[in-house]
Amino acid sequence: MDWSAVPTYIWESAYLGIVPALLGLVISVPLGIACVRWKWLYPPVLSGASVLYALPSLALFIVLIPYTGLTDTTVIIPLTLFSLCVLVPNVVDGLRSVPEDVRQAATAMGFGALRRLAQVELPIAVPVVIAGLRVAVVSSISLASVGQLIGVSSLGYLIIDGYQRDFVTEILIGGGLIIALALVCDVLLVLLRRALTPWRPRRGRRERAQILIGDPAVAAQAGGAG
Amino acid sequence: MITFEGVTKRYPDGTVAVDHLDLEVPAGQTMVLVGPSGCGKTTTLRMINRLIEPSSGRILLDGQDIQRSNQSELRRGIGYVIQQSGLFPNRTIEDNIATVPLLIGWKKARARARARELMTLVGLDEQLARRYPYQLSGGQQQRVGVARALAADPPVLLMDEPFSAVDPIVRATLQDELIKLQAELHKTIVLVTHDVEEAIKVGDQVAIFRPHGHIAQVDSPERLLAAPADSYVENFLGFDRGIRRLSFLAASGLNLDDRTVVEEDTAASVAARAGRDTGEDWVLVVDAGRKPRGWAAVARLDSLPAGSPAREATLEPYGHTFSVHGDSLRSALDATVLSPAGRAVGVDDDGRVVGTTSYDRLRVAIHAAEQAADRSAAPGNGTAAGAQRQDTAAGTA
Repeated sequence: MDWSAVPTYIWESAYLGIVPALLGLVISVPLGIACVRWKWLYPPVLSGASVLYALPSLALFIVLIPYTGLTDTTVIIPLTLFSLCVLVPNVVDGLRSVPEDVRQAATAMGFGALRRLAQVELPIAVPVVIAGLRVAVVSSISLASVGQLIGVSSLGYLIIDGYQRDFVTEILIGGGLIIALALVCDVLLVLLRRALTPWRPRRGRRERAQILIGDPAVAAQAGGAG
Repeated sequence: MITFEGVTKRYPDGTVAVDHLDLEVPAGQTMVLVGPSGCGKTTTLRMINRLIEPSSGRILLDGQDIQRSNQSELRRGIGYVIQQSGLFPNRTIEDNIATVPLLIGWKKARARARARELMTLVGLDEQLARRYPYQLSGGQQQRVGVARALAADPPVLLMDEPFSAVDPIVRATLQDELIKLQAELHKTIVLVTHDVEEAIKVGDQVAIFRPHGHIAQVDSPERLLAAPADSYVENFLGFDRGIRRLSFLAASGLNLDDRTVVEEDTAASVAARAGRDTGEDWVLVVDAGRKPRGWAAVARLDSLPAGSPAREATLEPYGHTFSVHGDSLRSALDATVLSPAGRAVGVDDDGRVVGTTSYDRLRVAIHAAEQAADRSAAPGNGTAAGAQRQDTAAGTA
């Protein structure tokens, strides 16, 4: 067993976890804005995202192989689509979390619609959006390991290699590293949110505990997706 | 000046929020719109900065039809204060206040300097400048809201129930400060409230709305209390409008009695005689500087040993005094009602006793002051704008 490649696997897992979540965010923000602006759009978008999420990842990889080959892209596209299922609702909820009096005050002070969105509504939506991003990143990191089945390298290698060689320790280390990576990314996102939102009331001790053990909802998602 | 000309707001479902409204808000004055909920007062306010567009009619701002102005530019020239303060939670206090200056292109440093200036103006500690709204109390947030509305020095200020979300003590303070601020700034203010006391207190003019967007009466608070146009207005003002009206009549018109004011070193027998000579049961004992000490009963003075000074009688507390220069007849009446002697103590600016009231003296003063007020408010006497409007309103109602 050659352990020297482990750092590379960690990097690959992180890459396959973070890139789809970020691409998902890039798609979700305009989509979420549109869903808030035109309310009728939200139900079909939400259903569409849920249907995508219900597709098995392996099946999607195989469907994409003829187009994108055995590359990162083949893994990134499905994971991006999956992330929409959490990110779009969070962008919508985030924008709806802007208090009506704040929106009205902004309008009354002479903000145009675009300016209000960029300077008032989106900044206020940040905490809710980052909450969604946490779930998206963690579940992408877990799901990325499935890509190993089509030869896209990540920490999933340790699990499949261990299985093929009947080497339980390797499987456990692979799984453990995936969970550890997910937790580290989660903590980083919590820190990012704090840095971006100094204006939120601090919840003190409770939040610190949450950062150490991870958000229960996020942890459950990570377990389920793996 | 803001002028409403036959303004109607009808919603698609057929509800009429405002019905053929004619109203004139004179420049530099505070116009309060007051009425029960659903009377159209807030709709009226929001049509001024085009948060709501009228269905018909015109609104003129200094003679310009606001329908023809650019919406955003119009709004940047009109300060807006709302009930829940509407502060941006993600901006510091100074950046909240600097919002409109930044929108109209001021440099950040200049806008922030202006924000600090306004914080001082509305009574906020400059140390709060870098805090976020959640770190402030409701009253402080409301002050920030007012500062933010004033930041770009707009000539017009719209206030939508600005003080109704804070507790009564803070509310009274904020009202007092608005009055002080307005005396300094002379903005054209339109303030909406459901609290008729607030309307009477802060308004130069008060427009009382009936349900469904009709105006029942527009007048100065004094005139409203003195001459409500009809029973609706009278009921709306409340049963004690006679007492409240006294707030607008100066106590200086009182003819005070100083015959029963005795210095504490005066012999008790002399003091008692002063009471008996004037038919009073109580005399007011004052010190050498004419500051009040308390009420002494004539019977009590009589029972003191011969030759003892008046101060040795048991003195009853004199309660609250009123200033003969600054206070109103309402204050004088209140002090009279509360006094054990049934007479209140009027003092000058240094707190020295000028004399005492009695119910008879109050009655005479109230009657004279009311007649004087009625005379000065009679049509054709300069301040008849309200009366004219009242006629117009009665015509459309």
